[in-house]
Amino acid sequence: MTKKYKFLFIKCITAAFILNGCSSSTKLVSENKDPFEKINRNVFKFNKYVDQKIISPISKTYIRKVPAEIRSGVSNHLQWMDTPNTIINSALQTDMENTILASAKFLLNGLTLGFYDLDKGETVVKKRDFGSTLARLNVAEGPFLMVPFIGPKTTRDFTGTILDRQNMATLSSNSINDLNLAEIPINIIDKRGKMSKTIDNIYLSADPYIKIRSFYLQNRRNEIYSKQYIENKNNNLDAEFEKLLD
Amino acid sequence: MRNLKSFWIKKKISKFLSYTFLIFLIFNVNIAKSFSDNLEKGEATIQQMIKEAQKHAIDTIKLEPNERSLKIELLIKKYINLDFMGKVTTGTFWKKASGKQKEMYKAALLKQIVLTTEEHLNTLATLSYKPKKSEKRGKKLVYVRGLIQDPNKKKPDVNLLWKLAANKNGSFLILDLEIEGISLVSSQKAEAVSILRKNKGDFDILLKKMNKDK
Repeated sequence: MTKKYKFLFIKCITAAFILNGCSSSTKLVSENKDPFEKINRNVFKFNKYVDQKIISPISKTYIRKVPAEIRSGVSNHLQWMDTPNTIINSALQTDMENTILASAKFLLNGLTLGFYDLDKGETVVKKRDFGSTLARLNVAEGPFLMVPFIGPKTTRDFTGTILDRQNMATLSSNSINDLNLAEIPINIIDKRGKMSKTIDNIYLSADPYIKIRSFYLQNRRNEIYSKQYIENKNNNLDAEFEKLLD
Repeated sequence: MRNLKSFWIKKKISKFLSYTFLIFLIFNVNIAKSFSDNLEKGEATIQQMIKEAQKHAIDTIKLEPNERSLKIELLIKKYINLDFMGKVTTGTFWKKASGKQKEMYKAALLKQIVLTTEEHLNTLATLSYKPKKSEKRGKKLVYVRGLIQDPNKKKPDVNLLWKLAANKNGSFLILDLEIEGISLVSSQKAEAVSILRKNKGDFDILLKKMNKDK
């Protein structure tokens, strides 16, 4: 076993031990914690400028010029490249079903290097990252952050993103790492293209920063928290709605 | 004599119990019926709206943009509870607004919903809607769940959750829509309340920001 594999193995074992010691219930977090709002707003202005001047025009050209089949292939490949993270994190979260499904899909689509989805979307694999593993460990979500070039994150998810990247670097060879670096801008353009209408619509809103923050936090919490969290959230909203309907 | 008395008491008790049981049964059947009635009404409202929206998407495609917006506006007005949305998205600030400001806010909110709908209407015409489980929540609310699917399976499924309640006339109106767990009312509230809080509850500033560049 090489040094880097040993390091990853130890990391997985430690995380698995901690996970076993933790209860599966998730802590409910307070809404819209944003102590860095002033700095975040400035970063958002910068990101918006970069997006409108560079990323959006490139992504629009990409959609216009590249045929849908090729775009779909690229998108599939990017998802496939990210699957090892889902496998590792599903295992750490003791979600065996997702681990097996993700592994099977990764191996099957590996025949085409992930460019073609051979099971035609029949297997639904839930995307899992280190941010969601940290949430399972009852690590608090922390303040909201607007990260330059990356966009909205919570402190916990930003830490998770760094750890995911490190995992990929530990797992892959140098040449794959170089390929990974080249894939980051393609990934950004691909995602921007897919969310083009939503992002343009957000820019038109009264306060785009708050809208992005709200969308991101709601989406992320729904992705990673249990049914209990969603039920509690719905109960609170129901009580508010019923009171107003009286 | 004693036997006759005890027989009489037993008969009275059994009569009382049977009436209680009957009342209990009628009451429960009525509640269950009203529960299922409300669910059916909620589901029917959403199905009807989707059907009309898909028809609208095809019928209005050749119309002038302004004319099309007007038709979509009429369709949306028919199905949403705009008064409620105005109240819930501004929280405690709603009481401080004047009648005119309230009307202007509702109009701006409607405009936003129309804009969003317009953007997705053409896509909706090519997709199919599949109803999922519905449930009665609390005393007044009905949750209707559904799935937007691409028949060609090129786009991922989108989970929708409609929250409805009956108005005074008994017809069901939409209070909120959650798309993949993102509540439109919650995000609008976060935005409106943040602006109002920063500007000491001044609705005019909020309205100005909502109506910019549109």
